[in-house]
Amino acid sequence: MSLVQVIESSRRRTAVRRAGFALILAMLTVSAAVETASPFSLQGFGTLGLARTTSDEVEYVRDLSQPSGIRRDWDGRLDSVLGLQATWQISPQLSAVVQGMAKYRHDRSYNPEIAWAYLNYEPTPRISLRLGRLGTEFFMMADSRWVGYSYLTVRPPGDYFWYLPFYSIHGGDLAYTHAVGDGMVRLKGFYGLSNGHIPLADQQWEIKGSPMTGVSVEYQLAAWQVRASYANIRFKHDLPIARELQAYSPDPLASASLLSTRDRRTDFYSLGVVYDQGPWQIQFMLNRIEQGNLALENSEGGYALAGYRVGTLTPYLGYSWVRSERRETTARQAIEARIMADSHAHQKTGIIGMRWNVARNMALKAQWDAIRGDAASIFPYRHEPASGRWSGKMDVYSVAFDFIF
Amino acid sequence: MSIRRLLLLCVVSWLLILPAAEVRAELVVVVNARCGVAAMTRNEVVNIFFGRSRQFFNGVEAQPVDMLDTHPDRARFYSALIGKDVSDVNAYWSRQVFSGRAQPPAKVGTPEEVLKWVASHPGGIGFLELSKADARVRVVHELSK
Repeated sequence: MSLVQVIESSRRRTAVRRAGFALILAMLTVSAAVETASPFSLQGFGTLGLARTTSDEVEYVRDLSQPSGIRRDWDGRLDSVLGLQATWQISPQLSAVVQGMAKYRHDRSYNPEIAWAYLNYEPTPRISLRLGRLGTEFFMMADSRWVGYSYLTVRPPGDYFWYLPFYSIHGGDLAYTHAVGDGMVRLKGFYGLSNGHIPLADQQWEIKGSPMTGVSVEYQLAAWQVRASYANIRFKHDLPIARELQAYSPDPLASASLLSTRDRRTDFYSLGVVYDQGPWQIQFMLNRIEQGNLALENSEGGYALAGYRVGTLTPYLGYSWVRSERRETTARQAIEARIMADSHAHQKTGIIGMRWNVARNMALKAQWDAIRGDAASIFPYRHEPASGRWSGKMDVYSVAFDFIF
Repeated sequence: MSIRRLLLLCVVSWLLILPAAEVRAELVVVVNARCGVAAMTRNEVVNIFFGRSRQFFNGVEAQPVDMLDTHPDRARFYSALIGKDVSDVNAYWSRQVFSGRAQPPAKVGTPEEVLKWVASHPGGIGFLELSKADARVRVVHELSK
C-alpha cells in the first residue's frame, strides 16, 4: 500500500468513525425525546471495566464464552460491553425488540452481534409469548448478566455464573402471571435451539443447534422474591478433543465414544431468594448441574451477597463457591483421565466491594475477589497451567463504570 | 473547632432540616375515578409500579404513569413506598428492560400531566400531592412515611 493509499484509507476510517459517532449521538437524542408517546424507543447500556489478577499461571474469565482471560496486567476485555436495544410497540399487544451487543467474544473479536431479536405478544396482561432469538433465564438474573448498572457487583459472582456461556436460543417462551394474595406468581417455560460457541483451548465447541428446554416458577411478595428453575440442554456436538485423542489414546474411537457429549443431556437446577427493601439488597442462590456425559463433572455452586446503601454509596459483601465431583478414572486411559480432570472446579471466593451512584444512570464500582481454591480447580480458567505452579489461590481487583441511557 | 463541637453542629443542623422534610404535603396514589378500584394496599401499588402486575384486582388493565427524574415527587414517592432511591429504581428497570421482561411506565414532568394521564386513561394510576387531586380521580392509597 502506498503512502497516499494509507492516508486515504485512514481518512475514510475517520469519516466512518465520525459517522458512527454522529449516529450514536442522534440515537441518544432520539431516545431522550421519545420517553412517552412514540411507538419506537431506543435504550442502551454499557460498562467500561478494568481488572487484573495476582497470578500469571491461569487466565481469569468472566464466563466460558471468553476464549482468553486476564492476568496480572490491568485488562479491559473481561467486563467491557456496549449494548443497544430498540423496541417497536406495533400495537398494544404486540411489540418487536432487537438488542445488539459488542463485547469480547468467543472468536477473540469485539464484533457486535444481534443478541436478541424477537416478537412479544401479550394477548392479556397476564400472558406473554415471545418468539425469535431470546435470552434465557437459566438461573435467576442470567438474562441480564451484562447489564452492570442493574446489579451491585462489578460482574455476577463467577463461581455461580461462569459455567453458563449460553446466552440465547432460537425459539419461544411463554410466561403466565397470577396474583396470589398480595403477591404475584409467575410461571415460565421456554424451548429453542441454542445459539453459540464455547471456546476450548484453541478450538470451538459448537453449541449451536443444541435443543434447550426450561421451566421456572417465581413468587414475589413485597420485598421478597423466590425463584426455582429447571433447564436442560442436549448437546448436538462432541467436545473438540478428536485431535488429542488421535494423538494420545491407544484406541481413539473407544475414547471418543466414552467422552462423547453428543445427544447427551445436561440438567441445570437452581434456587434463588432475593430480599430488596429500603437500603438492603440481599441475594442467596444455589445451583446444581448434572452432566449426562462422562467428559464433564457434575457440580454445585452458590452465592450469598448483601449490600447496604448509605446515600449514593452501597458497600457490599459476598461469598460464592463451586465444587464439582470427581469421577472414577482409575480404569481409564491417561488421556481420558486428563480430559475428565480438565472440568474440575473446587473453590470459594470472598467478595468485597462498593458501588457509587455517581450521577443519574451512572455507577462506579470497585471490587476485590479473593479466590481460594484447590490447585486442581482449573475449569473456570483459560490457559490451564502446565507448570504445576498454580496454587488455586488468587485475587482479582476490578473497577468498572456502568451506565444506561 | 473541636470534634465535639462539630458533631453538635451536625446534629443541630440535622434537627433543623428534619421537620422541614416532614411538613411537605402528603403524596397519594390516585386512579381513574371510573376504574372501579376504591382502595389499594401498599403491595398492590408496588406490584403495579414495578411492572409485576398489569391488572387491578378487578381485572381492569392498569396504565401507570411515573414522573421524570427531574421532578422531586418521583424520589419522594419511591422513598415512601419502599425506601428506595431513584438510582435503585432505575437499576431495577434496566434489568427488566434489557432482559426483555417489561417496559417501565410512561413518564411525565408535572403533577398536572399526571392528573391528565390518570383522568384520560380508563386504567390510569399515578401519584401526586393530595392537594392537587380533583374529582376525576380517586385516592386509593396514602403514603405514610
